[in-house]
Amino acid sequence: MASGSSEVEEQEQERVMLRDRPEWSDVTPLPQDDGPTPVVPIKYTEEFAEVMDYFRAVFAADERSPRALSLTAEAIHFNAGNYTVWHFRRLLLESLKIDLHDELEFVQRIAADNSKNYQIWHHRRWVAEKLGPDARNAELQFTKKVLSVDAKHYHAWSHRQWVLQALGGWEDELDYCSELLEQDMFNNSAWNQRYFVITKSPLLGGLEAMRESEVLYTVKAINVYPENESSWRYLRGLYKGETISWANDPQVSSVCLKILSSKTLFWILSVTVINRIKTSEMPLRL
Amino acid sequence: MDKDLHSTFAELMFHLLPSPYESQEINHLTLAYFVISSLDILNSLNRVEKDAIANWVLSFQVHPGTKADPNNGQFYGFHGSRTSQFPPDDNGVLLHNHSHLASTYCALAILKIVGYDLSNVDSEIMLASMRNLQQPDGSFMPIHIGGETDLRFVYCAAAICFMLDNWSGVDKEKAKDYILNCQSYDGGFGLVPGAESHGGGTYCAIASLRLMGFIDDNLLSSCDSSLINVPLLLEWVVQRQGMDGGFQGRPNKATDTCYAFWIGAVLKILGAGNFVDNKALRRFLLTCQYKYGGFSKFPGEFPDLYHSYYGFTAFSLLEESGLKSLCSELGITETAAKGL
Repeated sequence: MASGSSEVEEQEQERVMLRDRPEWSDVTPLPQDDGPTPVVPIKYTEEFAEVMDYFRAVFAADERSPRALSLTAEAIHFNAGNYTVWHFRRLLLESLKIDLHDELEFVQRIAADNSKNYQIWHHRRWVAEKLGPDARNAELQFTKKVLSVDAKHYHAWSHRQWVLQALGGWEDELDYCSELLEQDMFNNSAWNQRYFVITKSPLLGGLEAMRESEVLYTVKAINVYPENESSWRYLRGLYKGETISWANDPQVSSVCLKILSSKTLFWILSVTVINRIKTSEMPLRL
Repeated sequence: MDKDLHSTFAELMFHLLPSPYESQEINHLTLAYFVISSLDILNSLNRVEKDAIANWVLSFQVHPGTKADPNNGQFYGFHGSRTSQFPPDDNGVLLHNHSHLASTYCALAILKIVGYDLSNVDSEIMLASMRNLQQPDGSFMPIHIGGETDLRFVYCAAAICFMLDNWSGVDKEKAKDYILNCQSYDGGFGLVPGAESHGGGTYCAIASLRLMGFIDDNLLSSCDSSLINVPLLLEWVVQRQGMDGGFQGRPNKATDTCYAFWIGAVLKILGAGNFVDNKALRRFLLTCQYKYGGFSKFPGEFPDLYHSYYGFTAFSLLEESGLKSLCSELGITETAAKGL
């Protein structure tokens, strides 16, 4: 009953219309007003229309009850993007003093079907914010789980970056990036996260301090897959704001020359070389 | 591209959206924007009743009634759909206001498309209350009850102010700073600072800067690159065209119909449209064209409204004959943008 999620699962098997449930017999649904001439109408299913009409009745009456909470779970099941429903759910969680750890589980279940939805992640963040540093590990694990299915999941990465900045947990993040890159060197999201870590982690000393070891790491990656745009861009990113050392660093020159001397010419390599030639002229002009 | 087929598809959608769209009911105005703007691009707006559309859209606008205080933290724009719209109480007080920036953008865009004069829209409280949504870092929340803040809503706010020709709703300098913070080490823009560069985020960034007047048309020829790193951006954007001719939203991801607009529009705004291999892009898009109209995300799949719309806009950018030309930064036709 706590989060209402187990009810959704039961109802998936054999869903009973709300009007046929005794516990809802005292509620009069509040239908939406489509006006005289609806434009671009949607062919609502009976179930959808009914859930939303009951939701509207309960929301309009501001009924802060356990059944209202379980109704929001049903409504979210039908349209996980409905921010009005999510908003009411948050009011209910507060009024009913629900254990928010249960709510994390609820979000996880909803996300299993539909994780590319902004409202789910916003809600998750709201819960995690309330729980504070206690939620750190759960959030890092949760995003890891989502990323194990889709390693480039934009929402999961955004959430993870927020967790790191708001709740901490930087200790293993560079290793995690390496692990993902080992699985797939072409994972641009993991390269981006790596950049985020080396520039933002309070434990690593910033871009300047990390440059040397990161250049080594990246050059190795480029040697394995010279056609990989992600590693080349990361390499250049390591010299952000340092155009002179970008143009003069022998490590960069040697990897360019090495790849140039191989038989294949990659677009990204040409761009890199041209850019270095261009920037190397700048100090002369100055 | 089979224009007549697509017009019929869009007209069918106009008359009734199939049930699977009910899960997006909260964004009903956005769905309507896709359909109605599609008809406009396809030069088929004469198939529908414009006055009825305008009245319907206006019925989503929130009117706070008695002199509402614009500093009360709420935003008075347009509701996204009927489920989130509730009648006022017996004393005429509005209890539930869930106006949303994206819905407000779509509402105004549709009104422009059907030729409604936006000076007739009561926009004073809308603009004044929009300030409540802007965050200290310059980003925008979409709705006053709370929501994720990112570049999408900076874009919505900028487009709303541009269409209403009144910038009182936005602190432009702050919005600009936020956008600049979203430019990644690789030149593209992520949706929030630190996030991976993304075609959609890059569109929101560049279109917003253009609408706010921070960058000129044909940025490349004007050589004003002091604001953002244009060469790095251009390199990133140009490289989004894949071997199959389509555009991808991020490096090393599959190409997808919608990025033909998100990336194509950025190139257009930057004055770099000639960097696109038009023939290859056209070929790719045709593999995503459905035999009964519309476009799918990937080749050979079923179409959906979102990808259909961005397929049509992409063909408009390719100057397909019979299609109206697009105002890239507003996401509507030139004629609608200019109020012709």
